[in-house]
Amino acid sequence: MSVSTSSVTPGSSAAPSGQWLLAWGDKTLLLDQAACKRNLLLVLALVLISIVCLGIGTLPVAPTDVILALAGQGDTMTQFVVNDLRLNRLLAGIYTGAAFSIAGCLMQTVARNRLATPGIIGIDNAAMAFAVASVVGVGISFAPSAMALTGAATATALAFIIGGGSGTRGYRFIVAGLAIGSVSAAISQLLLAQVHIDTANEAYPWTVGSLSGRPEEQIPVMGWITLVGIIISVILCRRFQLMAFSDSVITALGRTPNRLRFTAVIVAVILTGFAVALAGPVGLVALVGPEMARTFARHRGLPLLSSALCGAIVMILADLVGRTLLSPIELPVGVVTAVVGGPYLLWILIRKPKRSTL
Amino acid sequence: MSQTTQAPLGTDMLTLKHAEHTIIEDLSVSFPAGKVTAIVGPNGCGKSTLLNGLSRVHLPSTGRIVLDGQDIHRLPSREVAKKLALLPQETSAPDGITVKELIRFGRHPHQSFLKQWGMDDRTAIQYALQAANLEDLGERLLDTLSGGQRQRAWIAMSIAQETPLLLLDEPTSALDLGHQIEVFDLIRELAAQGKTIVMVVHDLAMAARYSDHLIAMKSGKIVAQGSPKEVIQPSILDSLYGVQCDLMEDPSTGAPILLNVRRSRPEPSETQATTAPKRQAQRDAVSA
Repeated sequence: MSVSTSSVTPGSSAAPSGQWLLAWGDKTLLLDQAACKRNLLLVLALVLISIVCLGIGTLPVAPTDVILALAGQGDTMTQFVVNDLRLNRLLAGIYTGAAFSIAGCLMQTVARNRLATPGIIGIDNAAMAFAVASVVGVGISFAPSAMALTGAATATALAFIIGGGSGTRGYRFIVAGLAIGSVSAAISQLLLAQVHIDTANEAYPWTVGSLSGRPEEQIPVMGWITLVGIIISVILCRRFQLMAFSDSVITALGRTPNRLRFTAVIVAVILTGFAVALAGPVGLVALVGPEMARTFARHRGLPLLSSALCGAIVMILADLVGRTLLSPIELPVGVVTAVVGGPYLLWILIRKPKRSTL
Repeated sequence: MSQTTQAPLGTDMLTLKHAEHTIIEDLSVSFPAGKVTAIVGPNGCGKSTLLNGLSRVHLPSTGRIVLDGQDIHRLPSREVAKKLALLPQETSAPDGITVKELIRFGRHPHQSFLKQWGMDDRTAIQYALQAANLEDLGERLLDTLSGGQRQRAWIAMSIAQETPLLLLDEPTSALDLGHQIEVFDLIRELAAQGKTIVMVVHDLAMAARYSDHLIAMKSGKIVAQGSPKEVIQPSILDSLYGVQCDLMEDPSTGAPILLNVRRSRPEPSETQATTAPKRQAQRDAVSA
């Protein structure tokens, strides 16, 4: 094997194949061409589906009229239906779907296990239990975001302590999480059984997951949280990718494995906590969203952005199905994702028995 | 890469424990600059633990690992990663990754979010591909390579890291003879360019043939160190492995060859005692 430096051609710093190089000054960014195209298509799909969702309902609105209404044009009735009645619900779906999905993708990466999404390891249910407790305890929804966040953090900490630290290959951690999730769900039910029917109704959305009648003032907050989550994910994606290597390689490449995992888990917990506070435990989105993104990405890299977009699409589609399928009866979005997501999960498990991805 | 007379890497009264078991106690050793050092010894002698300590995976209980005169655990991790690369034994990689993409990960310590690609990255990767003789395989998926090719891809990743020091944990343990020679030749090639190399090698004959400096360990202590000829002595081999043998010199390479190897006495019981904590360590490493 010969080693010669002569034929290394100095000159252009052309980007690696399949990447675009953005350079200004001494700063350089690499953009994966396939990922850019994929995400662009997903954004397009999200926009189109959103317009369809805004048009469908008791009062159907044509897509062109939806666009007009969004731009503040057209007749006032349509504007009222689209902008005041339906848009908030749609935005709540997009924000929470994206948040759940990023959180799912991060947790899967940390645990190196595709099953280890926040919903499966009990973060959703614990967040729900805390939120329900606040509603039941005080009678009104007293800062459910803060309560849900506390619940999410508590469940994660417990799962890590019982599961034997973050380094575990997943299953102990998942089983511990399952137990925590079940106990949390039971606590929610117990709390609801103790109180007056009106209070129980007040807390009901949190127990199944619903986008109907969400507190309006929380939706923009969720939007900002999701945006920050996406930005952090994009910036830290390079180092999060290293988690696919063994700890010794991560260390040799100059990162601290535990610090990486801690950062990823914190982001996941915050996103899940806020999303549960708004929409309840729609945890299956965290499983289906990243899985879809990986299929589109052909299992290359860490598709955080695609996961966010897929999660948003899944969420609003599920909500659309929920409110139209048995109209005028409305199925909560959590029920739809469970009905659709369960079989989907089985399918991905059966489809690829050769090896796990991650 | 300059060949300094001072050893770039060493340990100072290093103690490595696994839970309650002390694997290595108060070990002080230094690895000569620009040379290939091979660490050998029987199973459970602590050679892999020592390498894990050097690569910062196993934290010292007491003592220090010294890199260029400084305590390695007081240096920023990224700075250490620019000086010290590792070829791990267990090599799990992201799925669906190509050879070039794997090698690009070697550039991680030199890059940041707003410094993702430069001339130096391109040159380093190009060079690593050449050095490891992988130019035709750059776009191939890592999973589709043979064992020897894959090992060269991992070595190429550490070459792209452009470190003066390279640690290798049993670099040829899963390879057939031809691929073993290929990898060892590459290691010699890297040393010839001034890299300081420290490797754990199971095969004593290969270690003797391809290293400049041999460190023989037993029960966490250094039994002998020096040139392969100095270390490969019947008395030392007896105390290390409990074997008797005759020695001969390879007429073409001058490396010592072991002949007529036979057990000198029943298995020493302490070997079992020292193997237990290592098994535990391996089990934990697998679950980690």
